[in-house]
Amino acid sequence: MAKGFSIRARCRNFGWPRDRGTSEIGRPVIGAERRFVDRAVGKLLFCAALAAIVAVFFIIVFLLRDGYQIVLETGLWDFLAGAEWNPTGRNPAYGVFPLITGTLQVMALAMVIAVPLSIGSAVFIAEIASPGMKSIIKPAIELLAGIPSVVYGFFGLILLTDWIRVAFDQPSGSSWLAGSILLAIMAIPTITSVAEDAISSVPREFKEGSLALGATHWQTIRRVIVPGALSGISAAIILGMGRAIGETMAVLMVTGNAAVIPDPIYDVFSPVRTLTGTLGIEMGEVAFGSTHYHALFGVAVVLLFITLAINSAARVITTRIQGTQGTARPIPSGRVTAAIRRSTPYRALTAAASRITHAASAPFGRLLPPRTSQRCAFLLISLSVAIVIAALGVILFEIVVNGAGAISWEFLTGSPRDLGRAGGIFPAIVGTFYLVGGALAVALPLGIATAVYLVEYTAETPLTRSIRAAVDLLNGTPSIVFGLFGFAFLVLFMGFGVSLIAGQITLGLMILPTIIRTTEEALRSIPGSLREGSYALGATKWQTISRVVLPPALPGILTGAILSIGRAAGETAPIMFTAAIFSSRFLPSSLTEPVMALPYHLFVLTTTVPGAATQSYGTAFVLLLLVLTIYLAAILVRRRYRRETVM
Amino acid sequence: MTGKSLSGTTTVAVAGILVVLLMMAGCLGNDQTAAPERITVTGSTTVLPIAEQAREAFEAKEASAEIMVSGGGSSVGVKAAGEGTADIGMSSRDLKPEETAGYPDLVKHHIADDAILLIVNPENSVESLTLDEVRGIYNGTYTNWNQVGGSEAQIVVVGRDSASGTREFFSEFVMDAEDFTRTQEEFNSNGGIQQKVSQTPGAFGYVGLGYTEGVKPLALDVGGTSVRPTLQNIKDGTYPISRPLYMLTNGEPEGLAQRYIEFILSAEGQEIVASEDYIPVRG
Repeated sequence: MAKGFSIRARCRNFGWPRDRGTSEIGRPVIGAERRFVDRAVGKLLFCAALAAIVAVFFIIVFLLRDGYQIVLETGLWDFLAGAEWNPTGRNPAYGVFPLITGTLQVMALAMVIAVPLSIGSAVFIAEIASPGMKSIIKPAIELLAGIPSVVYGFFGLILLTDWIRVAFDQPSGSSWLAGSILLAIMAIPTITSVAEDAISSVPREFKEGSLALGATHWQTIRRVIVPGALSGISAAIILGMGRAIGETMAVLMVTGNAAVIPDPIYDVFSPVRTLTGTLGIEMGEVAFGSTHYHALFGVAVVLLFITLAINSAARVITTRIQGTQGTARPIPSGRVTAAIRRSTPYRALTAAASRITHAASAPFGRLLPPRTSQRCAFLLISLSVAIVIAALGVILFEIVVNGAGAISWEFLTGSPRDLGRAGGIFPAIVGTFYLVGGALAVALPLGIATAVYLVEYTAETPLTRSIRAAVDLLNGTPSIVFGLFGFAFLVLFMGFGVSLIAGQITLGLMILPTIIRTTEEALRSIPGSLREGSYALGATKWQTISRVVLPPALPGILTGAILSIGRAAGETAPIMFTAAIFSSRFLPSSLTEPVMALPYHLFVLTTTVPGAATQSYGTAFVLLLLVLTIYLAAILVRRRYRRETVM
Repeated sequence: MTGKSLSGTTTVAVAGILVVLLMMAGCLGNDQTAAPERITVTGSTTVLPIAEQAREAFEAKEASAEIMVSGGGSSVGVKAAGEGTADIGMSSRDLKPEETAGYPDLVKHHIADDAILLIVNPENSVESLTLDEVRGIYNGTYTNWNQVGGSEAQIVVVGRDSASGTREFFSEFVMDAEDFTRTQEEFNSNGGIQQKVSQTPGAFGYVGLGYTEGVKPLALDVGGTSVRPTLQNIKDGTYPISRPLYMLTNGEPEGLAQRYIEFILSAEGQEIVASEDYIPVRG
C-alpha cells in the first residue's frame, strides 16, 4: 500500500503522461483509431467531471433566484439579524436570527454530547478492544449511521421527548436537548470512524517508543497517540458537525419548532427551531411566489452558507493531513505539518484540547498512581462505548419488538388502505427501489467518470481543484437543500411536476459526491506500477484504465455505491417535495408519475394519520431492515476488500 | 492477493452490479398494457382522508379508474388545479383574492365541512373555555392553567406551522389575526399535535375533527352555555369553529373527475365523509 503511494508520487514528479500537454511525449506509437478513442474518452470524462460544478452552480443559482427577493423586501440586515420569524402574523416578520441561533445551539450541544463519546469509542476500538471485540463494535457503531433519520425522528417523537418530560419534570419534552441528543447519536458514527482512522494511522513506532520508556498504556494514549492524531480527530469533529447541521427530519420531529431564542440562553428544555426544521415544516404548504416562499429560499441559502463554512474548515484540515479515510496515510512531511500547525482552527482546537485533557487528567495525574488512573480512564472509555451501543440497542429493540408484530404477508405485498391504517406498503417498497435505482443510474456513471478523470487524467490544476471543491460542497449540502433545489428546478422550472424522475435526479445529485469520493479512493489505492506495466506493453490510456485499473478498483467502487444506496433509500427530505405521494394503488408506469416511498410513508403515518401506530412501527421496521441490510453488505464487502489489500 | 479471495470478491461485485441493473431495468421496463382512465388529486392534507377513502370505494366500483391522491397543502392544491398539473385540487380554505384573479376559471365544489377542536390532555381538569380565553392562551396572556379555571400547571401551547391552512383559519377566526405567542410549539400536521397533546399533561392544541384519540376535546363557552363539539352542534352552527372543505377544478369537471366528485357528493360518498369524522354537506 505504502509502496503504491510512493511510486505514484514519483510518477507525478517525473511528469507521468497525465494531461494532453505531455501525453504525446514518451508514449509508444499507437494506431490513429485507438488514439481517437482515447481522446474522445478523455473529453467525455472531462464533461462528466464538469457535472459536479454545473450541479453546484445550478443549486446556488436556483436558490438565489427564489431567495434574493426576500432580501430586497426586508433588507439583508433585517433578514439575518431580525429577532422574529412570524411569516403569517398581522405584521409578517422574516427574521432568521432565532433560527440561526437555534441551529447553532442544537449543533453545539449535540457536539458536547457526541465528541467525548465518539473519541472514547474511537480510542476503545483502536487501542483497547481485542480483535474479536473490535470486529463487533466497529460495525455496530457504523450501523448507527445506517438508521434513516426519519426512524430516529420517529423514535425521538415517541420515546425520547416523553422521557425528557418525565425525567426532568418539564412541562414539555420537545426541546433543544431532545434535538441535540438525537443529533449526537446520528453524528457519533461519523466522528468515531474518522477519528478511529486517524488514531490507527499514528505510526506504531511512536507507541512502542512511549511504552519502551515505561509509560503506561493510558499515558501513551493520552500523551502520544491522541495528540498525534489530533488533526484527524478535529477533522472528524467538523465532519460530524456538518452531518448534524444539515439534518432535517429527526430534528423537526422533536425540537418543538418554536422560533425563540431560549431564555435564559442555556435553557436546554426550551423549544427551539432550526433552519432545516423551518424548511421541513413550512415548505410543503407555502403559497408559491409569496414573500414567505422567498423567505424560505432565503433560509436555504443561509443554511447552505453555514454548511459551506463548516465544510471548508474540514477540507482545509483534511487536505492538509493528506490522504483520506480508509487508506493508509503517509506520515505528514515537515512542511505539511507546519502548514497544519499554522491553520487557525488547528491552533484553536489544540489549545482547547490541551486544556480539556489537562483538566480531565489532573485528578488522575496528580493524585492517583498511573495504574489506577489507567484503570479509571479505561473504565470511562468503556463506558462511552457502552452508552453508544446501548443507544443502538434501545432504538433497534423498540422498533423490532413493536414492528415485527405488524409484519405479515399482506403488509409486505398489499397496497395501503384506510389511509395506511390497513393493507400493506408494497407500493412504498417498490417506489423506494425505483427511486434508488434511478438515483444510481444518474450518479454511478457520472460519479465514476468524474473520479477516473480526477485521478487518472489530470494533475492538480485550478480546474481540478474547483471540481474537488464542488464535490465537497455537494457532499456538505444538507439533504433538505437538495429537496428545495429539486423542487425549484426540476418540479417547477423544468416542469417535471412531482414525479419519479425529479426524485431520482435529486437523490442522484445527493449521492454523487459519495460515489466520486469512494471511487477516487479505490483508484488511488491501485499501485502505479500496474499502470506503468500496462503502458510499457503499449496499451493506451483508456485501455489501461478500463482493463487494468478499474477491475481491481471494483470492490471499492461497489462499497461506495452500496453506501449511497443506503443513504438514498433512507432519505425523506429530498423526496418530500419532489417525488413522494402519500398513497397510490398502482406502481408508477412512467417516470413522470409520483411514487410512494418508505421514509415518506413513515413520516406521514407518524405525523398525519391517527391510529396507525402499528403500521408506523411496521414501516419503520421494514425501512430499517432494508437500509441496514444494505449497510451490512457494504461493511462485508469492505472487510473482504481490506483483508486483500493488506495481503 | 490469493486467487480464491479474488474470485470471491468478483462474485460479490458481479452480484452487486446485477442487483443495480435489475433496479434500473425495473425503472425503465415497466409499461403497463391497459391504459386506465387516470386523474390526479392533490392539495390540502385536511381533505386528503376524504379523497383517499372515496378513491378506494370509487375504484372498487370502476375497476379501470385510477385516482392518484397526494397531499402538499391547500396552496399546492389551488396552484395545481389552476395550472392544470392536477385534475382536482383540494383546499381547506376559501380562495384568496390573488388566487381568484390568477385562476378565474377555478370551480369550487363544497364537499364537506370540518370543525376545529380545542384539545387538552385527558388528565387536564378543564372542561370548557370561552373564545377569549382561547385567544388569551394563544397570544401568551395566560400561561398557567390555573388562570383559566384549571389546576396549577404551565400551559404548553401547541399549534400548526405558519404555512398551514388550518392555522390560517384558526388565526382569523379565533385570534382575530393577533400574533401567536412565540413559545408556541409548532407541528406540521394534525396528527403531530394530537400525539404531542396526548403525551403532555399541560398541552393545549387545535386539530381537525378526526383527531381525538388519547386527547380530550374541550367544550366552548358561548355566552354562558357550554357547547360541546357534537355533530349536531357543528352542523347547525352552535359550535362556531368550522370551515368548508373544497375540491377545485379548472372549469366544470369532465369524465372521471366529474364522476369522482359526484361520487363524493352522493349519499355513499357523504357516508364516507361522515365516517372520516367530517361533516357531510348533503343528506
